[in-house]
Amino acid sequence: MIKLLKIEYKKIRTYKVFWILTGLYFVFLAAGILLAEFMINHMVNDINRRMPIPFPHVAIYYFPDVWQNVAFFASIRYVLIFPAIIMIILITNEFTYKTIRQNIINGMSRTEFLISKLIIILLMSVIMALILAAGAFFIGLSHSGFSEVDFFSKGIPFMAGFFISLLCYMVYAFFCGFMLRNTGLSIAIFTLYSLIIEPVIYFFLRAPFMFRNTIYTYLPVNAVIRLTEYPAIPMLKKLMGLNLQDHVSIVACLIPICYAIIMIGIVSWIMKRKDL
Amino acid sequence: MKTILTVDKLSKSFGKIKAVNQLSFEVRKGQVFGILGPNGSGKTTTLSMLLDLMSPDNGEFSWFGELPSKESRKRIGSVIESPNFFPYLDAVTNLKIVADIKDKPYDDIPEVLQLSGLYERRFSKFRTYSFGMRQRLAVASALLGKPEVLILDEPTNGLDPQGIAQIREIISLVASRGTTILLASHLLDEVQKICNYVLVLRKGIMLFNGSVKDVLAVSDSIEMAASDMQGLINAVREFPGFLSFTENGGLIQAHFSKEVGTAGINTFLYQRGIFLSHLAEKKRSLEQHFLELLQETP
Repeated sequence: MIKLLKIEYKKIRTYKVFWILTGLYFVFLAAGILLAEFMINHMVNDINRRMPIPFPHVAIYYFPDVWQNVAFFASIRYVLIFPAIIMIILITNEFTYKTIRQNIINGMSRTEFLISKLIIILLMSVIMALILAAGAFFIGLSHSGFSEVDFFSKGIPFMAGFFISLLCYMVYAFFCGFMLRNTGLSIAIFTLYSLIIEPVIYFFLRAPFMFRNTIYTYLPVNAVIRLTEYPAIPMLKKLMGLNLQDHVSIVACLIPICYAIIMIGIVSWIMKRKDL
Repeated sequence: MKTILTVDKLSKSFGKIKAVNQLSFEVRKGQVFGILGPNGSGKTTTLSMLLDLMSPDNGEFSWFGELPSKESRKRIGSVIESPNFFPYLDAVTNLKIVADIKDKPYDDIPEVLQLSGLYERRFSKFRTYSFGMRQRLAVASALLGKPEVLILDEPTNGLDPQGIAQIREIISLVASRGTTILLASHLLDEVQKICNYVLVLRKGIMLFNGSVKDVLAVSDSIEMAASDMQGLINAVREFPGFLSFTENGGLIQAHFSKEVGTAGINTFLYQRGIFLSHLAEKKRSLEQHFLELLQETP
């Protein structure tokens, strides 16, 4: 395991594309999270101009809600696509440069190759979730101060939920890259599906003319990003009658995990048989 | 001599095309074993199967007397087709990855880089390398950790004369240390210069398997004709050292693994009741012989 990790680390240590995309991901993430309150309150101001009774401004950076809010903004499709693209590049590079062949020739087993990529996915998810958790903690601290009683009640569940989102979504990306083997094609199809095709399917499944169904909860990307379905903004409850969650549902986690396991199963089945 | 590689009735098809057909051979320790055949004769497919890049449809093989595994591959250094490295990493990092996979220390890296003449450029990214340098880095990576067997697939393909000379020099040096070498090439000249044992492959079928001297060192063949052509062919086949023959315009041209002389064969045939109407000794080039070997129907 350590050996495989060492090898993978050498592959990315001086790989500029990897670090630039990772950096961009955190820049977008930080910008999104830090601008969220400002943007929401801007909308509130807009609405208030036409309303007799003004809505109160929202505050989303307080403990314990900050955990849920940060997890929500971090798992928005447009942000989550970054680590997925990084993963697609890392796996398709192995096919483009034929280094997968060379690794096998040199004495790596096919299973080891697969494991080495899964280790990277796991590790990237852990590190990114930890960085996000640290970020959320500092945002919370700077807004709430130590007087708050409830620091952590939402911390572990929502950060764990975000970790599962990231992990599963990166497995999807790995699967897509492994099946298509071509960097550009994989990124295009994966992005297209995540950002356009699935939202359209989602829209039709929830449209009023459709029979009542829960199929939409099983759409793979939707299942990933809906682990934290809404930000913790009490106003949303009043306004839209939403049932705000105060925890991450275990059942909801199982859907993307099942997809991820099936995909890993398919990849390992192909990996053992296919000519490289 | 210890057997390094045993291949038994190995076959692989791509759709209707039989890329490798019932191929069997053995490579022994210390041999410089050439697989000679034109493009598309199944050389790379054979090597790919031996290195677990492809699974054979039928047949089996064993490395070092054991079932093939990743552990056996760690004892083999290979260059298959093009040099495969990460273009954005420098030579040293690329070689470290290879050493990690093979469970070998990094100590060899400076040595193989020097041997391949890339030491000064060791911190340059792979993508900045010229074609010849890339090929040399591939050979360098194959030499990491002092492998017991070196597998080279068309190692000089596409190189300029100087590059060819450099690669051949490295191969000779490694061979002189007693490393077993398996070399696939479509160049007769290359096999002849480097190898001491050769297997000739055409359309996935083995045409010949023997020492280079036997197949390539014959300098002549004998042209014959008789009224009973079938009888002549049958009789010639029994002649010691007979390799192959071609039939052309009522004449047959027979090739032998050693010099036979017209007198010897005439006496031999006379004893078997074959009376020749034509008998001539033909000098042939090695190239011609190779081409003939390839043209014959198996």
